[in-house]
Amino acid sequence: MTVSLTIENLSAHYGQTQVLKDLSISVAAGELVSLLGSSGCGKTTTLRIVAGFLQPTSGHVRLGDRDLTRLPAHARDIGLVFQNYALFPHLSVQDNVAFGLKQRGIAAADRAKRATAMLERVGLSNLADRLPSALSGGQKQRVALARALVIEPPLLMFDEPLSNLDAKLRVDMRVEIRQLQKANGTTSLYVTHDQEEAFSISDRVAIMNAGRIMQLDTPEVLYQKPANAFVARFVGFENLIPMKVVARDGAVVTAEAAGGARLHLSQDLFGPIKDDFVLATRPDGLVVRKDGEGVPATLGTRTYLGRAYQYKCGTAAGEITANGALSEPFEPGDKAVLVPMPEQCCILDPET
Amino acid sequence: MNKLAKWGLTMPATILVVALLVIPVLATIATTFGEPKGVFSTYQAFFNSGFRTNILYRTLRIALITTAISLVIGFLTAYVIAQMPGRLKSIAIIAAVFPLLTGVVVRSFAWLIILGKNGILNSSLMSLGIISEPLSMLYTEGSVIVAMVYLFVPLMILTLTGVLEGIPRDVVEASASLGAKPIATFFQVILPLAMPGLIVGAVLVFTGSFTSYATPQLLGGEQMMMMGTLLYQRAMVTFDWVGASTIAAIMVVITIAVVSIMSRMARRLNPMAV
Repeated sequence: MTVSLTIENLSAHYGQTQVLKDLSISVAAGELVSLLGSSGCGKTTTLRIVAGFLQPTSGHVRLGDRDLTRLPAHARDIGLVFQNYALFPHLSVQDNVAFGLKQRGIAAADRAKRATAMLERVGLSNLADRLPSALSGGQKQRVALARALVIEPPLLMFDEPLSNLDAKLRVDMRVEIRQLQKANGTTSLYVTHDQEEAFSISDRVAIMNAGRIMQLDTPEVLYQKPANAFVARFVGFENLIPMKVVARDGAVVTAEAAGGARLHLSQDLFGPIKDDFVLATRPDGLVVRKDGEGVPATLGTRTYLGRAYQYKCGTAAGEITANGALSEPFEPGDKAVLVPMPEQCCILDPET
Repeated sequence: MNKLAKWGLTMPATILVVALLVIPVLATIATTFGEPKGVFSTYQAFFNSGFRTNILYRTLRIALITTAISLVIGFLTAYVIAQMPGRLKSIAIIAAVFPLLTGVVVRSFAWLIILGKNGILNSSLMSLGIISEPLSMLYTEGSVIVAMVYLFVPLMILTLTGVLEGIPRDVVEASASLGAKPIATFFQVILPLAMPGLIVGAVLVFTGSFTSYATPQLLGGEQMMMMGTLLYQRAMVTFDWVGASTIAAIMVVITIAVVSIMSRMARRLNPMAV
């Protein structure tokens, strides 16, 4: 049984502070959607409201055709994986996994059979009798996962489940979580502040800021076509250069940055370009050259990245970070031109 | 830290305990086995006396009832305090332990004034017309238990607040998310995790009330003697030092037995508990 999760016009307050502002998301049946943002953006609050630990000021949470908004947490039937694992320290691994089944009134024999089968799936059957204190971080997280999965919930939620694991294990675990989630086809909501984790595990990602969703899209779209300046910066478009169109010639637009640097951009590539726009690039999308069409700059600090040199560049449009080829090193103080690679740039509306 | 430093740091306390507690207690107990009538004769004498065994059973009963009531009241209060926001919590803890700032005698004496023939409780009940004759509430087991609960609840609250605060919120939330109703979460998660504190509290209250002297002396009188008052009488009134030592030895053994039974029960509920 797979159902969809619908979050409608959710608002929440802590005292006088509004932490969620009219937030709506829908997660399709079997889909994994991540909430991604820095701390305080409202992602954990959203998860806690869906789990039933917090009451929203207004709005609704629906799972399939069930309205969960006013249900107590224990009646919601949601599998939850916590950041600190939240295992019961006084129960063995086996009893931790069987806990949810026990609450559902399932007979002891059946309970044991299902818990054992689930422990086998996460590769921990040999540790069934251990107490959580005798497990490593990765093992604890597997127990937490097994405990949430064994109740076969229509919705799984993850609250930064990997942030306490070391880097190598984090990568392995996220692959494992994704495989289990796909195999079961469980609708899932995943909260994280780690962009790589969110992009690698999710069908779609919601980038959040200050209690709002800035953009909800597939990782590919978010990475290549951010919808606004916030998302652009978030996914690494460090340089946002405000520009003004000075001439139009068919599909080609001539635009001018502060200081008079001119660029030619094709609307075939970027779609319709408004008179005022922002050109966003990653440091890789601006190449430092001796000459060419681009923004004149004075080079500052040089950093060796391995694949390229990165320069902090002073320009009439503000400080810009750009990369230059290893074969053509510049010294601090050199004059150069920053040449945008059109296919690695995107065009933003200055209003956003 | 090297071995020598560890020894050096624990040495003063060890010497103090050994010299002033272990050796005197062992010496006291040793005297009870030296009677000419036989090694266990003083113990036989104790257990053959209906008067003295009655006092032992009464003391056990009062100590266990006091412990049970203090556990319930202390747990409920600590549970509420543990949920309070920071500043309110400090105020509540200070209020709870405030009675500890006065002595045991003063606090027991307060109950004399409340429970006496012409005490506050009798005169209010009479002026309300609920009773016509004053009730005799003093010098009963009830009066001793009430006063002891009052004495020991603050200790219980202090111990349990610490333990309950230490139960992580997400563990309780995990229980709810797995479908446990609040009552199931209480019995299957909160209570087992609070077990170490419950044991420490129960041991403190049990040993305190089992060995109490001032409270039964003031509120129990001659009729409701307890082991503490009996021991005092043996030693200081009849100067029967061996008899007093026998009582002391019995009290030590019972205290150790009850404490170990309590911790065994706790371990069954929570393997992490000591």
